[in-house]
Amino acid sequence: MRHSEAMQLVSTFITDEMLTVTNLTTNARMWSALRGERPSFYGLNMGLCLPFAVGLSLAFPKRRVFALDGDGSLIIETSALITAADVSPPNLLAIVFDNGVYSDMAETATTRRTDLEKMAQGAGIQRTATVRTPEELGSAVEQALASGEFAFLVAKVERDRQIPFRGDYIARSERGMKEAFVDALRRLPDYGSWR
Amino acid sequence: MDAECTQLIIEALKEEEIDLFVTLPEEPTASLTRAVQADPYFTCVAVASEGSGIALCAGASIGGRRNVFVTGVAGLLMGGLALTHMGPQYGIPVFILASYRGDIGDRSGISGSKLQVFRQVGEPFLQALRLPYRVVDQRSTLKRTIVDAHFSCRTSDIPVVLLLTGEVLW
Repeated sequence: MRHSEAMQLVSTFITDEMLTVTNLTTNARMWSALRGERPSFYGLNMGLCLPFAVGLSLAFPKRRVFALDGDGSLIIETSALITAADVSPPNLLAIVFDNGVYSDMAETATTRRTDLEKMAQGAGIQRTATVRTPEELGSAVEQALASGEFAFLVAKVERDRQIPFRGDYIARSERGMKEAFVDALRRLPDYGSWR
Repeated sequence: MDAECTQLIIEALKEEEIDLFVTLPEEPTASLTRAVQADPYFTCVAVASEGSGIALCAGASIGGRRNVFVTGVAGLLMGGLALTHMGPQYGIPVFILASYRGDIGDRSGISGSKLQVFRQVGEPFLQALRLPYRVVDQRSTLKRTIVDAHFSCRTSDIPVVLLLTGEVLW
């Protein structure tokens, strides 16, 4: 399945009540094009997406949080898997879009011997899956959402040749993007009421 | 860190309604971590890397959950990328208590020359990121400084670091 196809499919599960954070470059640009001006936290740098999402999940324990990460980003900070496993926020669904490349550059280790799902299992994450088709992805997301448990999915995707260049991630500065996201969070009825 | 300073920090954290305590356990603040873990007021997360700790705290902060990251100067350096992004790039409040390894009086048993590196690099690193920080070495000012620093952190949207040393730590 193509990366954009997988992202499009995942977007059909994400409602405006859910919170989404992405890593940088490909995922940020694809998600931004799908989301338009609706706020998300876009473009967290290498290795920061998953732990950031864990923190956001702890602030909104009754709200679903999606971490849309990439293989290159996760590989640089695989210890985040251990932290995520340790905390296991039941409201967090992490999806790694594994296209096997660093943006448009060289191949990542997942094209050789590295298996991110096995690493997640080794870190202690209970609910994991690797999916390769839209059907498998849709089913895995559906099951993860229904489970009420922290889940970690690796979506094996083919690289898209053209990455969209529109939406909030492109239109705003990073500070502006953050402010828009924080403003949206502050309007939520459960903001600041994690207890 | 002795029991009195541990208690002062816990009191200050509660006064600021900080209930999420994130740390990569380290020797100088081990007594604080143990006390927090035993206190049901706190959720204690032991992260596997400092970068993850800083990112986790940033995610919680923008969601409105008050938190503290407890580490050492070496941890600040290890978490440098995360601190750079959450501070100068995004402007997200991350409140950090860091043991000032290598400062005068550090008797932690690590070779002095290794500790000197932290003293030589720690403060210049924070200055390079233009992050507010303060060295806290008196127990009489500890609680007030934590409360003030956290106030500045959350109202200025920027990481603030307190470097713990002197009678507060050793």
